[in-house]
Amino acid sequence: MTPAHFAFSSAFMLGLAGLAFHRTHFISALLCLEGLMLSLFIALSLWTELFNLTHNSASMPMILLAFSACEAGTGLALLVATTRTHSTNRLKNLNLLQC
Amino acid sequence: MAPPIYSALIISLGLGTTMTFASTHWYLAWMGIEINTLAIIPLMSQNHIPRATEATTKYFFAQATASATLLFASISNAFLTGEWDILQTPNTLTYSLITLALAMKIGLAPLHSWMPEVMQGLSLLTGLILSTWQKLAPLYLIYQIQPTNSNIFIVLGLLSIIVGGWGGFNQVQLRKILAYSSIAHLGWMILILSFSPPLALLTILIYLLMTFSLFSSFMLTRATHINSLATTWAKIPILTISTPLILLSLGGLPPLTGFMPKWLILQELTKQDLAPIATLAALSSLFSLYFYLRLSYAMTLTMPPNNPAGTLPWRLNPRHNTTLMSLATTSTICLLPVTPAIMAMLPL
Repeated sequence: MTPAHFAFSSAFMLGLAGLAFHRTHFISALLCLEGLMLSLFIALSLWTELFNLTHNSASMPMILLAFSACEAGTGLALLVATTRTHSTNRLKNLNLLQC
Repeated sequence: MAPPIYSALIISLGLGTTMTFASTHWYLAWMGIEINTLAIIPLMSQNHIPRATEATTKYFFAQATASATLLFASISNAFLTGEWDILQTPNTLTYSLITLALAMKIGLAPLHSWMPEVMQGLSLLTGLILSTWQKLAPLYLIYQIQPTNSNIFIVLGLLSIIVGGWGGFNQVQLRKILAYSSIAHLGWMILILSFSPPLALLTILIYLLMTFSLFSSFMLTRATHINSLATTWAKIPILTISTPLILLSLGGLPPLTGFMPKWLILQELTKQDLAPIATLAALSSLFSLYFYLRLSYAMTLTMPPNNPAGTLPWRLNPRHNTTLMSLATTSTICLLPVTPAIMAMLPL
């Protein structure tokens, strides 16, 4: 495992742990999701630099950025919708659908 | 929802799945899956009630995490082997991570917790799209990566069958029951995937057929609770005959179509010297059969002069076109005798 691979893998794992163990606020989960996408962006850029020396897939990080922005926008829209219907962005309030 | 927006979302749903089906590059497959997720989110929350918003939020988190993990595994595979092709056998670690990410996408145990709650908050039509169309792209990816090591698939499959049966035991909400039934059927599919991919394909197709007929029957009477099933005899009497047969087909009873995938899977597992696993899977599907029978009982066996379990509703004209539904229902009940023909059509 090269240092670059270790770097983005650990960044991803930290973000994933943050997403899995977020306890209080909705927005902290969205931030961790953005952190995941950022680590993937860095990973793709590093791959293009280190391994793809013809740079013919250099548009991959940009497309990832576009999709990540769409997802962030969707997440924020859902945050606003949840705050409108549930009056808060605390995650313990999302309890309408329990068994 | 305004027709241009609605049609754009439906077309995006089709586009996402088509992109994943047509791709050999992991990046393009990931893009198709992302488009699918993004397109269904407005469809899920279109009526803006709190339950729908909550269901959409939970769905978004589960799917976004799974997509990110899928892309991470693909990029790790590219770092380790330099290969972006889906059909090349990837590195073992990234392979397991890809499988787990796709398992979270479709809702296999132990990554299934989002499924019942999300299904509960949606309308029946969106729930139908969620259980049938949204499963196609990830299942195709799992099918394509040509599993060689069967351990992870057996564990995922068995756990899903057990969780799908056990979880639905105490439910009275129909959408949660359908979610658990989906988990159980996907478990059967994954169980056989490493041994005989064409059988997994058969299981997917039969499951799609059966789920479509069941959802359509519930949509005709707008039933979302077992109590509302009990008044079906007053609204559309033919459904009291066809829906129990669809439910028993989902449970896998012999003269009906649902028996076909279970029988062939058990046969294949026995041929692979995995008889204890086959026995465990068959016994665990008894759990699912229990709650399908409970639904059939509420629908058919509680008619007058017995006490009905609910009050009589107004009989309004049904507005649905039932062509596809009748085709699907007939196929769900009557297709078992043509098993040899179906098996000849699959690439066995």
